[in-house]
Amino acid sequence: MSYEDSHLSDQQLLLDVEGELSTRDEKPVRSHLDACWKCRARRLEIENAIADFIRIHQREFDVKLPPAAGRRALLKAQLAQLSATTPRSGWFVLTRRLDWARAAAGLGLAVLGLLVARSVVGLQSRPRPQAAVFSIPDSRLTPGAAVLASRQAVCAQANTKNKAVSVALQRKVFEEYGIAGAEPQAYEVDYLVTPALGGADDIRNLWPHSYSATVWNARVKDDLEDRLRDMVCDGSLDLAEAQQEIAGNWIAAYKKYFHADQPVEKHQ
Amino acid sequence: MVALFDQFRGPLLRYLSNFGLAAADGEEVIQEVFLSLFQHLHRGKSRENLRGWLFRVAHNLALKRRYRTRRELEARAKADAGDLAIDPGPSPEAQVVNSQTQQRLLAVVEALPDQCRRCLFLRAEGLRYREIAGILDMSLGAVSLSLARSLARIARAAER
Repeated sequence: MSYEDSHLSDQQLLLDVEGELSTRDEKPVRSHLDACWKCRARRLEIENAIADFIRIHQREFDVKLPPAAGRRALLKAQLAQLSATTPRSGWFVLTRRLDWARAAAGLGLAVLGLLVARSVVGLQSRPRPQAAVFSIPDSRLTPGAAVLASRQAVCAQANTKNKAVSVALQRKVFEEYGIAGAEPQAYEVDYLVTPALGGADDIRNLWPHSYSATVWNARVKDDLEDRLRDMVCDGSLDLAEAQQEIAGNWIAAYKKYFHADQPVEKHQ
Repeated sequence: MVALFDQFRGPLLRYLSNFGLAAADGEEVIQEVFLSLFQHLHRGKSRENLRGWLFRVAHNLALKRRYRTRRELEARAKADAGDLAIDPGPSPEAQVVNSQTQQRLLAVVEALPDQCRRCLFLRAEGLRYREIAGILDMSLGAVSLSLARSLARIARAAER
C-alpha cells in the first residue's frame, strides 16, 4: 500500500504506538507520520484512549481486589498436600521411562518400556495405602457446592448429619479420586459443605474422607460443622462465609473457630 | 511458587473479571491455575514464558468454570448482585469522584464484545500481541484490529 496517497489506519497507528510494526512497514509509516499532521493527531488520540482505559482499569478493578493473605495461605497448604501426595513414581516416571525407551529406539527396549509402563499403571489402579489418605479434598475435584438457601431456611430444618450418598455417586467419587479399586469401608464419602449448611448433593461437593486419617478425621469435621451451623443460626456468622470457610480449607476453619491448632482431645 | 502467586494474583483476577465469574470463583480459578503450574513444573515441563502460561491456563479454566456454573451464577446473581467482580454501580463516594466521562468510558468498555475486552485487559497487563494471540487463539492481525477498534470506541466516548 502507498503510505503517501492515503492516511494511516487506526490499526497501523496503534502498531506504531505499540512498537509492533513489522520492519517492512516501519519506515513508510514513520515517513507518513512525519509528513501528516492529521495522522499524528489521530495517533495522539489513540495514546490518550490507552491512558483513559488504563485509568478506568486501575480505578475500577484494582481497588476491588480482596486481600491476598487468606488465599496465599490456602495455596501453601494445598501445595504442601500436593507435594506429599503427588506420586513421583506415577505419570512423571512413566513418561520419563517412555522418553528413555524412545531414545534407545530399539524394539526390545520399547517392549521393555511398555512392560514397565504396564506395571506402573497396574500399581496405580490398585489402592494406594499410603498416598490415598485424604484429610482434605482435592479442590480441583471437590471445590464445594451449595444450594441457594437462606439462613432462615437452613436453620429451620433439622441438623441433617451424614446424609446418605447413593452407591452410584460414591463409586463416581472414588473413580474421580483414582481409588476405584479401594475398599469402600476405608472411606466415608463426605460432603465438603454439609447439607446442614446448605451443601448440595453434587459430585463437586463430595470427597472420600479417609477413616484412617487419625487426626483430622470425619468426626472432627462434624464438630466444625456443628459449630459453624450454631454460629450461622445465632447470627454471628454469615451463611455464605461459613460455606466458603469450610469449602476453602476445613482444617484451617476448624483451627480458626475452635482457636486450636489440633482437634480437641475427644476426637483423637 | 508463592512469589509468583503474589505477583500474578492481581493481574489474573482483573483479567478473570471479564468472564462474569463471582469474585470467589475467580479466586478458585487462580488456586487451580497455581496447582496446575505446580504439576506442570513437577513434570519437568518448560519454564519459558510462565506469564503467558498462567494467563492461558486461567483463560481456559475460567471458560470451563463459567460453562459449568452458568445456571448457578444466574440464579446467584439475582439473589446476590453485590458479589459480582464488577460492581453494577458506584458507591456514593465514587459517584462524587467519577466524572461523567469516566462513567461513559466504563460503559463503553463493558459493552465491548468479550473477545475485544479480553484483548484490552491482557494488553493492559503487559502481554505482547503474540502472547495475546496465543491465549485467545487469534491471529496477530486480529489482535491489533480488535485493540484498534476498542481504542477507537474509547476515543469517541472521551470526545463527547
